[in-house]
Amino acid sequence: MTTPEPSHGPLTRPGELTDDAAHPPHASHGGLGVYLAVFVALCLLTTMSFLTYSPYWPWRDEPQVGWAFMMAVSCTKALLVVLFFMHVLWEANWKYVLTIPAAMMAIFLTIMLVPDIGFRSRMVSQERLLYMARPSDEALLKRAATAAEATAGEAGH
Amino acid sequence: MSSSAFAADTPFGHDDHGHDDHGHVALQYQPGLPLSRGKLIMWLFLSTEIMFFAALLGSYVVLRFGALQWPKPHHVHLSEPIGAFNTFVLICSSVTVVLALEAARANRAGLAKLWMVVTLLLGMLFLGVKGYEYAAKFDHGIYPAKPLGRIYEKPDLYYASAVRERLKDPLVLEKIAELEAASEADLTAEQVAGRKSLADIRRLVMDPDQQAFDIAVVADQVMPLPAEGPGGGHDAGHAHGLNDTFDWLRLPAVIPGGNMWASTYFLLTGFHAVHVVVGLIVFAVLLGYQLGPAAAGMIENAGLYWHFVDLVWIFLFPLLYLF
Repeated sequence: MTTPEPSHGPLTRPGELTDDAAHPPHASHGGLGVYLAVFVALCLLTTMSFLTYSPYWPWRDEPQVGWAFMMAVSCTKALLVVLFFMHVLWEANWKYVLTIPAAMMAIFLTIMLVPDIGFRSRMVSQERLLYMARPSDEALLKRAATAAEATAGEAGH
Repeated sequence: MSSSAFAADTPFGHDDHGHDDHGHVALQYQPGLPLSRGKLIMWLFLSTEIMFFAALLGSYVVLRFGALQWPKPHHVHLSEPIGAFNTFVLICSSVTVVLALEAARANRAGLAKLWMVVTLLLGMLFLGVKGYEYAAKFDHGIYPAKPLGRIYEKPDLYYASAVRERLKDPLVLEKIAELEAASEADLTAEQVAGRKSLADIRRLVMDPDQQAFDIAVVADQVMPLPAEGPGGGHDAGHAHGLNDTFDWLRLPAVIPGGNMWASTYFLLTGFHAVHVVVGLIVFAVLLGYQLGPAAAGMIENAGLYWHFVDLVWIFLFPLLYLF
């Protein structure tokens, strides 16, 4: 990075784009190789999160394992995009000022929703509970499906 | 006047007497942030966007895990391969934006324009696939709200009465009469079986002594909940119901938790799609410029926005399609 020569005028003259002048050329970082490597990594990671739905995923009975895995994969992908494609890796310290408070606000906002929205089904009236979909409804539909299959099987024989 | 106004801004205050500069103020440049104003504004905008989508995604997660019942992806006819394909499309478009920026910096305006066109096409492909997915939801009566939506939360009396109402529709009655008059030779095996099951459910919903289980049987015949679990393929988990056999029937269907799912799904993907549309407009405008080094700043800012849109989808895809 070259030190800007002392000047008393604005950094840009009319007709000149600010970004180009304010930025010393920094095409040195990145480069085709890095971007392609990140692209391949992103594709691999997408395939990995998709794996949880394939028959080869061993933790089918514990969905929480899959969720944690997919969130880890997503965070890794997000990090790759932010660091390399959005050039945050090569930015100065202002990046922390903008991203960390925003991220903290985002997490805080989500947590603040939990008491009212997350726990809503613990506080509803008995009457409302009557009209809410419950796991028992899905179980009932499954029993109906099994019964229908059985009759269809009998009719087929 | 101007000199004193500047003097007040110096760290040494306004009193410059006693110095040798005879009233001339030694101005000290305080460097601002080491980034251009355009990029600073874009990042400030993006930080508000982070909070905007965090609110949407956060509410979705909290709603989903606070719900007593939430539909599986197959219950709402989501196809994981299509979602994964769209993820791939967006990742590719992110790469092409980066390549356009690199080309512009290297003063290869033609190449930059080419990559920009590819980005635009990929964005359109994403929207096209999204539209196809939306159409599949609409076909199954999944809309964000009631007048069009035909999704019921549970197989109860309200559902049974909605089915009865639909079966009383003159147009439906006409079609049913046609179907019953048709000879078996004119119908496919599926339609013959469908005709029988349609007669069954008409009897069941009219039956004054129907039990909860009977209504569940009706719901299962209309639109069965596909079996969950492995299979991977699109059609593996897609069970065929009366609504699929006869496209004119359009009976109300039961998807436990389906209405809240539809609200969140359309809100999240809708806002994301709006962002994609805005990005495409920006790219289309950029195509009108000479994409040389002078335009690198613009391309970089548009790219930052586009990568953010990609970022949101990176979280949306697993949350909506795989959870």
